[in-house]
Amino acid sequence: MPANSRRASPSAQMRSVLPGWQAAAKQRGGFDITLLTLVLILLALGLLMVLSSSYPRAYSEAIRNESGSPLDYFNHQLIFAIAGLVIMYAASWIPMAFYRQWTKMIYLVTILLLAAVLVAGTEEGGARRWIYLGFFSFQPSEVSKLAIILLLADLIAKYRARMNTLRYGVVPYVVVLSFPVLLLFLEPHISCIIIVAMVALTMLFIGGMPWKYLLTLFAGVALLGVLAFFVSNHVHVRILAWLNPSAYADDDISYQVRESLMAIGSGGLTGLGPGEGRQKYLYLPESHNDYIFSIVCEELGLLGAIAILLLLALMLLRCIQITMNAKDRFSFLVAAGITAHFGLQTILNILVVTNTIPCTGVSLPFFSYGGTALLMQLVEVGILLSISRELPLSNAE
Amino acid sequence: MAIQPTGRASAQRPDNMMLRRTRTIFLVCGILAFLLLGVRLFWLMVIQHDEYEEQAVRQTVVRQNVLGLRGTIYDANGKILAKSATKDTVILSPADIKKNNQDLDGIAKVLSENLADYGVTYEQVIELARDTDSYYKIVARKVDREDTDPIREYKNSIAGGVNGIVLSPDSKRYYPYGSLASHVLGYVGIDNDGLAGVESQYDNVLAGGMGRITRLRDKTQIGMLNVKYEDYTQETAGADVKLTLDANIQYYLEKHLKQAVEDYDIQNGAAAIAMDPNTGAILGMVSLGNFDPNDYQVLSEADEEELALAEEEENLTKTELSERRTAALFKQWRNKALSDTYEPGSTFKIVTLAMALDSGVVNENSTFYCGGSTTVVGRTTPLNCWKTDGSHAEQTLTQAVQHSCNVAFTQIAELVGAKTFYKYCDAFGFLELTDDADANLTAKTGIDLAGESGSIWWSENTFYNPENHSQLASASFGQTFNVTPVQMVTAISACVNGGYLMKPYIVQEITDASGRIVSSNEPTVVRQVISEESSATVRQILEKVVGDPVDGTGKNAYVAGYRIGGKTGTSEKVAQDAAGGPKEYIVSFVGVAPADDPKIVILTLLDTPSSETGIYISGGQMGAPTVGKMMADILPYLGVDPVYTPEEKANMDETVPSLTGMSTTDAVALLEERGFNARIIGEEGTVTAQLPGTGTTIANGSTVLLYAGEEPSEEQEEMIDLSYLTYNDARDYLAAMGLFVSTSSSVTSPSTQAVLAQSIPEGTMVDHGTVIEVTLVTGDQSMLGMY
Repeated sequence: MPANSRRASPSAQMRSVLPGWQAAAKQRGGFDITLLTLVLILLALGLLMVLSSSYPRAYSEAIRNESGSPLDYFNHQLIFAIAGLVIMYAASWIPMAFYRQWTKMIYLVTILLLAAVLVAGTEEGGARRWIYLGFFSFQPSEVSKLAIILLLADLIAKYRARMNTLRYGVVPYVVVLSFPVLLLFLEPHISCIIIVAMVALTMLFIGGMPWKYLLTLFAGVALLGVLAFFVSNHVHVRILAWLNPSAYADDDISYQVRESLMAIGSGGLTGLGPGEGRQKYLYLPESHNDYIFSIVCEELGLLGAIAILLLLALMLLRCIQITMNAKDRFSFLVAAGITAHFGLQTILNILVVTNTIPCTGVSLPFFSYGGTALLMQLVEVGILLSISRELPLSNAE
Repeated sequence: MAIQPTGRASAQRPDNMMLRRTRTIFLVCGILAFLLLGVRLFWLMVIQHDEYEEQAVRQTVVRQNVLGLRGTIYDANGKILAKSATKDTVILSPADIKKNNQDLDGIAKVLSENLADYGVTYEQVIELARDTDSYYKIVARKVDREDTDPIREYKNSIAGGVNGIVLSPDSKRYYPYGSLASHVLGYVGIDNDGLAGVESQYDNVLAGGMGRITRLRDKTQIGMLNVKYEDYTQETAGADVKLTLDANIQYYLEKHLKQAVEDYDIQNGAAAIAMDPNTGAILGMVSLGNFDPNDYQVLSEADEEELALAEEEENLTKTELSERRTAALFKQWRNKALSDTYEPGSTFKIVTLAMALDSGVVNENSTFYCGGSTTVVGRTTPLNCWKTDGSHAEQTLTQAVQHSCNVAFTQIAELVGAKTFYKYCDAFGFLELTDDADANLTAKTGIDLAGESGSIWWSENTFYNPENHSQLASASFGQTFNVTPVQMVTAISACVNGGYLMKPYIVQEITDASGRIVSSNEPTVVRQVISEESSATVRQILEKVVGDPVDGTGKNAYVAGYRIGGKTGTSEKVAQDAAGGPKEYIVSFVGVAPADDPKIVILTLLDTPSSETGIYISGGQMGAPTVGKMMADILPYLGVDPVYTPEEKANMDETVPSLTGMSTTDAVALLEERGFNARIIGEEGTVTAQLPGTGTTIANGSTVLLYAGEEPSEEQEEMIDLSYLTYNDARDYLAAMGLFVSTSSSVTSPSTQAVLAQSIPEGTMVDHGTVIEVTLVTGDQSMLGMY
């Protein structure tokens, strides 16, 4: 039957849609070199941008604290990058079945960590997000993203056939999401909740959740958002600052937005040149962190920014390819979740720094300064590489 | 079918819906999102680029203007009269203090501790810091670098810098000699722009060029890390100005003019100008009361007292008081020698004499009769000579000048004629004839100094009136018109230098920062006004005004050993007279030396001597001795060698030699050789002490006290009034008290020259051996003390 034959080899059909796969996939048993290469390039560029954007801040802090070096941020990031690469490589060797086995345990540990951070965490800027571990601060919320991706993938893969029921298609996910979201809300780490919620929605959508549930959930989230605008002054201000950055001259958020736009706008077509930015000289807060892309734009110009966006797009495309060819539903859903995570963070980050959407703290994968986040991103890449090792090539032949 | 076709492994594979939804959401959303990002970036980075770049540049690029240091003003010998030094302006930024939560207490402490000399207090800083919207509150201006160094240190002590304090480079003008030549130099305002005198006239020359630093700064403004100048224009130092003014001559002028103001209780200020008659170069210019250009806003103590008194007695409101203060300030800044006009009086007779000689209407053999008064066409009353008893009688031309006879000069002017008189006045630079015969006439010398006023003369029609010669008559002896002192000294110079009217100037040359001469003023002959011969005759006659101890009204200007010419002037202030007030006078004297080959012309005028000093108010009694003392100091300084008559030599003050350790016999012999007497106190033997001390100059014939084994008495003596004593009598009176006398006046006749003023007032307690400095006049004894 034509209909059946179409259904019989869906992956083969998909593969033909995504060209360039055959060549790389020849290395059966090996991981995907293309993804690794793209990630390494992005990581190297990210490190250079951390160096450039953090140098003035580190320098002034070194003066103020009378200790330290202008390279402190860079060195910190470099150590995590190297450690992350090692862990990534290790993660790529772990079979997906093993991950699936430990999914619940990872979830439970994450919940404990999220709870622990509320008790033992260090407060910074009105939020408890970090657990200080002597040589670095650990951010459980970054771990929670992966933990949720793994658990959702496990549950969706298991209940795929019953996704149209309330009991198996909605309740389990709402339950497993509610704990971390509540704990994240208490930190608070709203931007992480947004990412988690959007990744989860994407995975549920892919997992076959019926439109009625999806729309209901979406409406619920939207309602919460509207409610937040009126209830929370915090959100209110951010939205007003987004609408008119110059009107709230003294507000930190609108200041940040203005400085970011100045950085991006002054970059022009070709930029001020690598390292030549002005805004990182303590004008733009978080210039090495959430707003690192503003410095990229300022120093490398539109051409440089577009080039980096293309690299990120290529990497995401490669993630999609791996997803589409994953050997089973669990791997498929994990890959989709990770892809969604990278994609969402990339897009949201740039939308925020360009003031296209209201300001929220989203970091740019592989670029933004932050040890735990970078570490977890590389673990996620390691998992993708692991999935790429297990691609069912023979079936495609 | 809906049932999956293959086994368990196949069942785990993603189904079609999953793949479709994955493809849809990732590709569609991804492509849309990345397109949106691209468009957004293009919009911000290309379309809105200029706008954002301008904003970024505005906050990160600092354009700092740096004014080059103002040029130095030198005197003719290269002495520094005005110089600028780098200073700091200390600025408080309350907004930054608040924003960065800086330690206001610490800031206020460090500022008040280091700026105490500038009147900054802790409370004041706290008060300034209250305006937390402001980034710019000036705490103190023109602060020395050594005072700001600790502040700078404090600024940098805190990492990132204390940007609540800002130090901005500035400069301060210094006038090392204080009030010396203050009116010539002028002063600069708070922004270093010249506001008066040479500072104003040559402001564009002296002012430093503006430099500009364009640099990047970080948010905390401690300087960009990669300090690099994006653009740097070097500021340029202003050019240096070298004056013709000689600080030494200026000092002598000021010293003696101040003394005169004190001695004669001058009510309305005084002025003196010294000019090189051959070039027109100003050698010195004084206007009293003066001010200290370092603190030009500060009134003199006398003015302050007067204000305080007025406030108390007249119950002045605050506004009135401040108006008075402003008026007093403007008065002290006014350069009397340049900005005030006056009726020159008899000094103008030199000009009348010169034009009469040059036009040939008189010669040295002409005679004039004065019976005490004369009739003038158009005048209802006879014109009186200042000496009304007719004792001038028949006079030669020289005698008429010596006597300063008004009647004779009225006759001379009649001989010259009104039209010729005005033509010469035009030629001498006193007025400029125009086509409009009804217009009042005026002129300026065009000296290169700010603030010159113009003269005031009657219109030609008034002056030429054939039915009324009273204008011409009065003009012949310097009344009924107004000229400036600088005009006067320039014209007199022309009368004695061979007839050439020179353009007066004060700046000799201008050199740039590297020492290259940019421009220089050469002597400029405006025109020859009278012939060399006429000029020579004027010189001869003027010398006789001073040099004749009997007939010369200017004899008090005589300096032993020197040939000095001159002319007195005593003019009634007409405006005061018209107002019905008591008669007020401006007394003046113009001196020329050496009379045979003039190197200097000095004009001195004293505005309104007090009638209460008892000294006869006249140029001869007040102006002449003042100029004489100036000449006595300046001529040796100029290297003019004195030629003394033996009599003069005998009368001169002498220096006391060192006598201690000598035998009394030897000491007495040495003293007698120098023209001193000696009195030994104690046993004969070795001199153990002497009064006065070695090197003191005292009057010839004084009795030096020699102590042999005894100590000079510790007792003090009460100073007596020496007025009207002859020099010899004063010497002898003081000798009895163990005191001594000396004079900078010329001692021509110690037995007749009388003391006019003394350096130590009556009633002061003085130590033995003190030397009292006196001013001598050769007075007509009958006149002294009568007015």
